Amino acid sequence: MHPQLELLLELQDMHAQRQALRDEPLRKVEEEVFDLRPVEALELLDAKIEELTERLDPTVQRRYVDLSETLDRAVAPVLNGICYGCFVATPTAWSSEAGRNDRITVCAHCGRFLYYVD
Amino acid sequence: MQLRDFFTLEAINLDLAAETKDEALKELVGLLGLDEKSRGILFKMLKRRENLGSTGIGRRIAIPHCRSLVVNRLRVAFGRKISGIDFDAIDKKSVQHIFLIVAPPLEVSNQYLPVLGRIAQFGKEPDVPERLTQIETPEEFIALLEDKGV
Repeated sequence: MHPQLELLLELQDMHAQRQALRDEPLRKVEEEVFDLRPVEALELLDAKIEELTERLDPTVQRRYVDLSETLDRAVAPVLNGICYGCFVATPTAWSSEAGRNDRITVCAHCGRFLYYVD
Repeated sequence: MQLRDFFTLEAINLDLAAETKDEALKELVGLLGLDEKSRGILFKMLKRRENLGSTGIGRRIAIPHCRSLVVNRLRVAFGRKISGIDFDAIDKKSVQHIFLIVAPPLEVSNQYLPVLGRIAQFGKEPDVPERLTQIETPEEFIALLEDKGV
């Protein structure tokens, strides 16, 4: 896997975790079952997200920041050849290619970074 | 929705080799059959969640959980370590029973929260920790879920 894609996946997963802490029912479970303090947890997550964002290559970082500001997520999984960001098909050759996650690819339709899920 | 529908026998390990929390998380992630890179990313995410606060809910039970792009559907696993693992749990006791839950960020059927809630509810049943200690096979684990109606 391309190291920058790995970073992007980590960032996207952390955004998902962040979202989970803002989502009322899930936040309630985190507080009541796991005794988590959401405000402190969000601060920790934000600091880590900032740190990881700075480790992105400048070109990738620019696109990542732009996408994060305009879309709900900057990285989209590809399942069965479909970008799950915009639900438009990606080129068939990309999906069947070995080592398809060894390079950075973006969706031609929505511009999100793509991650091919097996 | 029944919890038993999410557990496969291959994702149940009643004799974890792990001695530490990190080793336990890695061993549980290993039960999901993902490739090496995905396992590494998932482990990092679970560690990050643990760094926000332990998922050891007390009564010798932990429920590490997160959302991650590396899975394409909700996955669960169960691991047991009778001698216990230090998980920095709420009650400060070591953990014997670990339920792993991982879901993709985009989940059409939205099962993550209900599954998390049901496992937490299951873990709070008074007799569950003891019964989890007594089971001898993965099939008995599934039977316990059925018996408790979760």
